[in-house]
Amino acid sequence: MTTQLHEVPLDRDDMVVETRGLTKRFDDRTAVDSVDLQVPRGVAFGYLGPNGAGKTTLIRMLLGLTSASAGEMALVGLPLPRDRARALARVGAIVEEPRFHGHLTGRENLEIVAAVRGGDTYRRIGESLERVGLTARAGDRVKTYSMGMRQRLGIARCLLADPELLILDEPMNGLDPAGILEFRGFVRSFVEEGRTIVLSSHLLDEVEKTCDHVAIVDRGRVVVQGSIVELREEANPTVLVQTRDPLATAGLLSTHPAVERATAEGSTVHAVLADLAVVPELNRLLVSAGQDVLRLEPAQASLEDRFLEITTRLENAA
Amino acid sequence: MSTYALTPSRSLIASDLLKLRRRRGLVAVTALLTVGAMTITYGIIELLHVASPATHGPAGGVVNLGHGAWVAAVLGAVAAAIVGSMAGAGDLESGVYRDLVVTGRSRLALYRSRLRGGLVFLLPFVAGGYTLAGLASVVFAGGHPEPGISLLVTTGLWALLQVTFYYLLAFGIACLLGSRSYTIGTLLAFRLAITPVLASISTIGIVREFVPGVALQALTPAALGNAAQQGPTIAMSTAAIAVVLIVWAVAAVVAGAWRDTRRDV
Repeated sequence: MTTQLHEVPLDRDDMVVETRGLTKRFDDRTAVDSVDLQVPRGVAFGYLGPNGAGKTTLIRMLLGLTSASAGEMALVGLPLPRDRARALARVGAIVEEPRFHGHLTGRENLEIVAAVRGGDTYRRIGESLERVGLTARAGDRVKTYSMGMRQRLGIARCLLADPELLILDEPMNGLDPAGILEFRGFVRSFVEEGRTIVLSSHLLDEVEKTCDHVAIVDRGRVVVQGSIVELREEANPTVLVQTRDPLATAGLLSTHPAVERATAEGSTVHAVLADLAVVPELNRLLVSAGQDVLRLEPAQASLEDRFLEITTRLENAA
Repeated sequence: MSTYALTPSRSLIASDLLKLRRRRGLVAVTALLTVGAMTITYGIIELLHVASPATHGPAGGVVNLGHGAWVAAVLGAVAAAIVGSMAGAGDLESGVYRDLVVTGRSRLALYRSRLRGGLVFLLPFVAGGYTLAGLASVVFAGGHPEPGISLLVTTGLWALLQVTFYYLLAFGIACLLGSRSYTIGTLLAFRLAITPVLASISTIGIVREFVPGVALQALTPAALGNAAQQGPTIAMSTAAIAVVLIVWAVAAVVAGAWRDTRRDV
């Protein structure tokens, strides 16, 4: 089941990535299952799902690294695979981890890609290295680079194209917290420049912190997509309840028909409700059961809450 | 330059050359198998001659040019297998090929550029090695007959043809298999073991003529005599030789291109 919560309110021309019924099968296994994806221009778009959900396969189809079994796709408004070369000339991408010739310097690796891309990309080598803070190490062999430096060099390689769209597959993998923070900064600065970022990840928290829009994918299918703010708003209301016995409180709240889920996390119970209007009733329930209510307040739903809500609904429907 | 151009630009070929010439090990091995081999071969012969002129003749002359050409052809084929496999499968094995494909550049243009870049890397070494052999065969001729210009040129072209042919085979097979080690192993076994065995089995008749090593040997300049030969020489017409070599080279290059342009990366 695909839950299309939001019709993205933009013209087709404003879609940087668009797929319809995109499918990839490997023998009898369907890795990407009839995906309809719409990525609006000028946002950081998270393609979120667990490992093995088909995220990389979808990216590889978009980039012409593997063919689609069925469906249609377009990048920067150009249909693929017909206009693949023209489309990819305006796209920068890192698939899985960025790979380089370790025996060449960082600059030489960029020179190779500049030669492949042609045009005025040579002129951008210096500024790309500068942008990612690698100018001082540009003359060193890449095999001496750390994972974070390789990731930055990968970004510099993308920037050679002066891309409208950057497609980054699991870019946070292998990065330390400082590297993740730096990478998030890059993504936000690219969005501010008007570029679009498509970022695949299995890290829900990371997508929530980095992206404006998200598509949640599970077992090859997009189950929901839209802006993160809207997704949060549409999530069922959550209240935080603090009592002296959180486990007993969670158990008590779970018996109420308006409570979809109640879980004790430390000293606090997170209760997902069908309707916020039942909060006074819950309070009375707890008090009448002898629970001292120390705190009862609404909480902002996280993407995780929404994700759990959707996947729980899907599991129940299956 | 159009990003969808099928023809590789000079800068693209130069970038493929850069990948090869910055590999110190590759440069050292290629130099050893070409220029180094000639230096060692003629150096040892000349030293033996200087040490004992009565038992060892001079290093130069037509016969030793033949020996030199044989060394150039055999070790040149080994160098061709190494360089061809690196040019063919180096990007793929390092994982960089994927990052080049996502630029939108035609895979065929990338293929053609790598093909040319490898040749530009390899042939100067082979030419340098053969130039040493040619010079030594004249300078150290002593009492032996000196090779003429015509023989020097035709022998040099023959050596270059051998190396180029095996380079094309190695390149195509490397792109087909996506592996340097399998390519080098396969090609060396074919060139150094299978070819001499097949050439010496007379009962298989005309089938031997389809073996490229047999065809290349049939093309050996006659003036070199047996000095540049390995195993029996089977007489073949020039047209037949050309057909055999072209069919093998084209088959390898086309198969490599076919696989390279369709491979999931």
